[in-house]
Amino acid sequence: MPPLQRGFRRLLGVLDAAATKLYGWPWNPLHQSGTIAVAMLVALIASGVYLILFYRLGAPSASVARMAADPWLGSWIRSFHRYASDLFVIAAVLHLIRMFAQSRSWGSRTLAWISGLLLLGVGFACAWTGFVMAWDSFGERLALNGARLLDALPILSEPLGRIFAGDGPVPSAFFFVNMFMHIALPLAMGAMLWLHVSRLARPTLMPPKRVTWSIVGALVLTAVLLPAELGPAANPFVLASHTPTDLFVAWWLPLAERLSPGETWGIGLVGMLALVMIPKWTRRPREGRWAPSVVDPRLCTGCNQCPQDCPWDAITMIKRDDDRPTLVAHVDPARCVSCGICAGSCAPMGIGPAGRTGRDQLAAARAELAGPAAGSAAGQVIAICCSQVPPSHVAALSERGALIQQVSCAGNLHTSVVELFVRSGARGVVVCACPPRDCVSREGPKWLGERLFNDREAELQARVDRRRITVITCAPGALGAALAAYDAFAGSLASLDIADSESLLELDTECEPVPLEAEGT
Amino acid sequence: MSGIARGALAVAASAVAMALIAAGSSAPVPFHAEEGGRLRLSWSARPERIERCREVSAKELAEREEHMRQRVECEGHFASYALVVALDGQAADTAIVRGAGMRHDRPMYLLRSFDVPAGRRRVRVEFTRRERSETKHDGDDDDSERRTSADSGISAGRAQREAVERARRGKAAIPPRLVLDTVLDIAPREVIVLTFNQERRVLEILRQDGQDDRASKASK
Repeated sequence: MPPLQRGFRRLLGVLDAAATKLYGWPWNPLHQSGTIAVAMLVALIASGVYLILFYRLGAPSASVARMAADPWLGSWIRSFHRYASDLFVIAAVLHLIRMFAQSRSWGSRTLAWISGLLLLGVGFACAWTGFVMAWDSFGERLALNGARLLDALPILSEPLGRIFAGDGPVPSAFFFVNMFMHIALPLAMGAMLWLHVSRLARPTLMPPKRVTWSIVGALVLTAVLLPAELGPAANPFVLASHTPTDLFVAWWLPLAERLSPGETWGIGLVGMLALVMIPKWTRRPREGRWAPSVVDPRLCTGCNQCPQDCPWDAITMIKRDDDRPTLVAHVDPARCVSCGICAGSCAPMGIGPAGRTGRDQLAAARAELAGPAAGSAAGQVIAICCSQVPPSHVAALSERGALIQQVSCAGNLHTSVVELFVRSGARGVVVCACPPRDCVSREGPKWLGERLFNDREAELQARVDRRRITVITCAPGALGAALAAYDAFAGSLASLDIADSESLLELDTECEPVPLEAEGT
Repeated sequence: MSGIARGALAVAASAVAMALIAAGSSAPVPFHAEEGGRLRLSWSARPERIERCREVSAKELAEREEHMRQRVECEGHFASYALVVALDGQAADTAIVRGAGMRHDRPMYLLRSFDVPAGRRRVRVEFTRRERSETKHDGDDDDSERRTSADSGISAGRAQREAVERARRGKAAIPPRLVLDTVLDIAPREVIVLTFNQERRVLEILRQDGQDDRASKASK
């Protein structure tokens, strides 16, 4: 992992831990950064529709000042609109950092990365036009800088900056075009958002209702108690000493004013290029941990479960090239992110990334049980930990006597492995998963829970005592809660007898028959 | 930590985060640190066309379609202008200004700013055509009336219309020499705009309080 990525990952871990301690992992806003950005976009459109009703192209600053002076609705809705735009930028940047730090910026996620950058860029442009609409000293400052940057390009024959020079009133046409852009850009953002999530199955667009309404409530309260400042009306005959500047949207402004337009364009373009190139720079060789899933057509029964569970729409069912009457799964390696969720969904264990199919997991577990530590599982609690679980959680569980096993993602875990451990004499099995909204594979904890407890394919067999199985969420900053859950589970196991040994059952014959004869071996 | 304490902490943290958003949303960022004023030159105007015109002979006219019978044909280019700005007798800027566009046939635009210390300042701006013009417009021709009377058919009055149009174009162009030489009391943080008044054909000064200084002298 590149040092920059590692640094961001560390920073993210600290922030995540702090937010989880405060809000608990189900409501941690940092886990919802992308969906919060979408929620803010919706809030911006809703509040913007109200504000546009009272905006006057002929008297922009006066109409906004009138809104700001209205104590009933205008003042707080205008402030809410402003703060929602700030939160949009904050959430989008946090989302970008999270995706980068978690190596979710390359491969099939490249489209989402690039479209996300575009969304953020268009969001900035939209905010720019919004501030110019208000036509206060800050809006004028943004307009002047925008004109300065555009005038440096060989596009317009007449310098745009002349319309703000003061030798005539700023034409209404300028405010019309600006307002048009402010309305049209969010529509473009809607289209880009569709593109952004187009490679996801079941995209989650909104945060949990509790988080959404808490944020909206907090923004409304802030808007009422601390209304956004409106600077004095734009005046080309006065040099303002300060402007009330929105640092979230115009953080670059003080720097750009010190540089020439050429230097500003240069730095901006290099920065954008660097961000666009991140998918290339963070790309990993498609082998080992990053090898795409493969299908063993001999084992595939055509049950259609893996396409349903794949969070990336990477699997389709196609016609077989042998004489069996079923379809066969086909993985598009360009869309596969190697999460291994398909391996957990496949009862006959015929799909998954190399080394992580159900059969591979089962073989590794058997080897573990038969190896030097043979018999160590008897009477123990086995903790199967997702590779994203913080090391502190793993160490704490180990200290409590749990036998640690690793799996790349909770959703990758095949339920047969859980059954094998229970039948090998383990007192119980704990699966340590990430918070569902922070799963790098998107749906790992969700499908794991369904397979273990709700009979989703490949379900944990009914013969396995569910009292011996649990899933605990291991989020940074929630070690205490995870250990409490573990202790409660371990305590509940004390009253249970040891499960039947695996030798009393023949797992292979318990499974559905696999028609291997079709491949002619 | 108890649930209530954690909830209180979460509310407090949220309040701090929201206060930070509110503060960051309206941070007083310095814009113009200097206490001085600014002189801004801003105008657009059509450059004069420097052209050589010739009267098309009656024989040539007769060979052309009736609607193509332009009496006077001109060839030439648009003038360029020299800008000289002096503040308190010191040269502040000199520039050559041409019409916009590849062929400089579009209006020319001027937008320049000069930071000046507040107080009483002598400002001199000269805007002078660089090329000599020998264009003679038919509108000034004594014989135009005579030729006009010769027009007939759809060309009736055409020569006169052409003369009027040439005269109009000549008047729309910026005068060949504009000079503004004046003393200004510039207040701290005041912007004084110096522009070309198309109707009055002079350089004039615009200030916030509406007082215009039309002390400029326009001379052709």
